[in-house]
Amino acid sequence: MPRHEIERVREDRLLGDLLPWAYQRSALIREAWDAVGVTADDVQSMDQFHERVPFIDKNAIRAFRDRNGDPYGGMLCLDPKMTEIFSAIFSTSGTTGDPTPAPYAGRGPSMLVREFWELGCRPGDYFTYCLFTFRGPGIHDTIRGIGATPVFVDHQPADVPQLIRFSRELRPTAWYNLSGPLVLAIEQYAAAAGTDLAEAFSSYRGVTLAGEPIGPRARRRVEDGWGLELFVHTAVGDVGAATECREHNGCHYWEDTCYLEALDPDGAAPVGDGERGELVSTTLLDKIAPLVRYRSDDLVRITHEPCACGRTHGRVWPLGRKGDEVVVEGRSVLPGDLWAAIEAVPETSAGLFQVIRTRREVDRLRLRVGYAAAGGRARGDLRTRLTESVHGAIGVEPDVELVDNDELLRQGPPHKIPRVAKQ
Amino acid sequence: MTFAKRYEDPPEEWGVGRVDVDGEVTPWPVAQRDIDDEADSLAPRLAALGLEPGGLVLVVAMLSQAVHSVPLERAAGRIGALYSSADSTPFDAFRVAALTRQLGPQVVIGITGGVLDGLVDADRDPVEVLGPVRSVVTADEDAHARLRADGLAAKRWVKLGPTSAVEEVAGDGPVYDASRWRVEEHGGELVISNLAPRLTHAAALRTGIRGRVVEEGRLSVSVSA
Repeated sequence: MPRHEIERVREDRLLGDLLPWAYQRSALIREAWDAVGVTADDVQSMDQFHERVPFIDKNAIRAFRDRNGDPYGGMLCLDPKMTEIFSAIFSTSGTTGDPTPAPYAGRGPSMLVREFWELGCRPGDYFTYCLFTFRGPGIHDTIRGIGATPVFVDHQPADVPQLIRFSRELRPTAWYNLSGPLVLAIEQYAAAAGTDLAEAFSSYRGVTLAGEPIGPRARRRVEDGWGLELFVHTAVGDVGAATECREHNGCHYWEDTCYLEALDPDGAAPVGDGERGELVSTTLLDKIAPLVRYRSDDLVRITHEPCACGRTHGRVWPLGRKGDEVVVEGRSVLPGDLWAAIEAVPETSAGLFQVIRTRREVDRLRLRVGYAAAGGRARGDLRTRLTESVHGAIGVEPDVELVDNDELLRQGPPHKIPRVAKQ
Repeated sequence: MTFAKRYEDPPEEWGVGRVDVDGEVTPWPVAQRDIDDEADSLAPRLAALGLEPGGLVLVVAMLSQAVHSVPLERAAGRIGALYSSADSTPFDAFRVAALTRQLGPQVVIGITGGVLDGLVDADRDPVEVLGPVRSVVTADEDAHARLRADGLAAKRWVKLGPTSAVEEVAGDGPVYDASRWRVEEHGGELVISNLAPRLTHAAALRTGIRGRVVEEGRLSVSVSA
């Protein structure tokens, strides 16, 4: 679809449909807009949208929830008890320990059919569905929508033996999802059981990687050693998802479903194409709990340059959380900046680490790094090598605290660990 | 073939779950009609636990247990109720607590010892979290014993081969659907056969569950899987 056509669809859906609906029906949106004296009639162009529509964020949703006793934070545009529309109430991942419920009105496959096709799944195939229950049946419906059959596997270290067994016996062609902690669990199991992972996983044409990212070295182990082609998959501001294509040069999002802005993390000005900014998201389709100019706290790069695969929709690169950034010696450091340096050291190749962030600007970079407790060289030497590796990568010498890998993994949930700790 | 056509005419296999057969995890393909029929069968049992139209059941399970958990979710819709989901792990215990507080479910089904451990680790009192719920149904003996010891009248959910047996309010043994399944006792172990058509046939399948058939449709279980 040409860019001008994408932009026309976006404007029609946003200005002509979504905004009036959200302003009329979402108590949070109306409260936020009324507070700055804006109504839906005041937003008739994209310029007016950028100039006039106020931001909302997670704190605003929680504050509305607590103030009004509304578990949905004022987002809902329809009564969740309308069982002719809704079948279930799911929840956000709640990494902070505070999940937000979200009514589900799904009827059939989601936009992910496009991604699953790109993974290489075709009608009649088996598809490894490795996730959690709280996401609801949307993924299942999408796998069925492509004509494939889901094979249910828990996203848990304890289920790795069944993952390998079902992969061998049923020969699935696609897999949703793999994560950093699951990579570690598979490696540990395979080492103990003597499993040939390249043989076990030889039927897969594509695997999504989401939740906890992995560093470049771990990605090479999975891609070269296990023979899996990974497709990074990320949420975009709670209004959709983005997934790599076979070019693996950014995650495609669908601009007929959402409008994404990359803005100055400390202000409202847009950053340039491809520059680091905070992701601000607006749905074009969600009439149930629409997010409009939602400051996600995610730092990203976005480009609208056409991809070598031929798609004209935008691409996004997830970089980290704004709240995870530390500034030390005048340098901005995100966990993603440290990954390659930490996993380059053999005992810490799992890439399990946390940045100790007492405040945004700190005098010293403090890291808690997980290491493989069994075997390896002496710990004193390990700390020195880690310090040198990080210093070589970012030019900042860290203070390193070493802990057993399991101590960090216990902080779960199973698909990711907190990358920033207050102490 | 187009996506639209595939969605109108999806494969017969709805999914591949798993069932414990004689102590072994066994891949278990099921059809959409199997899930629908199990949901029809379970709806009155959820209603008997106190789930009402407009109410909500929180189903606590793992994705690998879809053959058993999805019929419970669909059964809620048969009643005109909603469902919500959480994983039955210590990690996800916070979600059980949060959704129970936020959504006020009439029934919470699938509580395990691991979930109770997760609540305790998070400094949450399981009785305080689950006490306001009309019916709390456990998925293992550990959780059942602990909640009973704490004074909650917990019921049992037993995964009986490819189907479920669920204890009702009276608490006099898990109830299975005798019109769809035949359950017999062989040497103290429950074995099950399907009477209604199923994609994967169960013929005297050893469930690994020790117990006996008290009367047709009702069990006494000494050790559940």
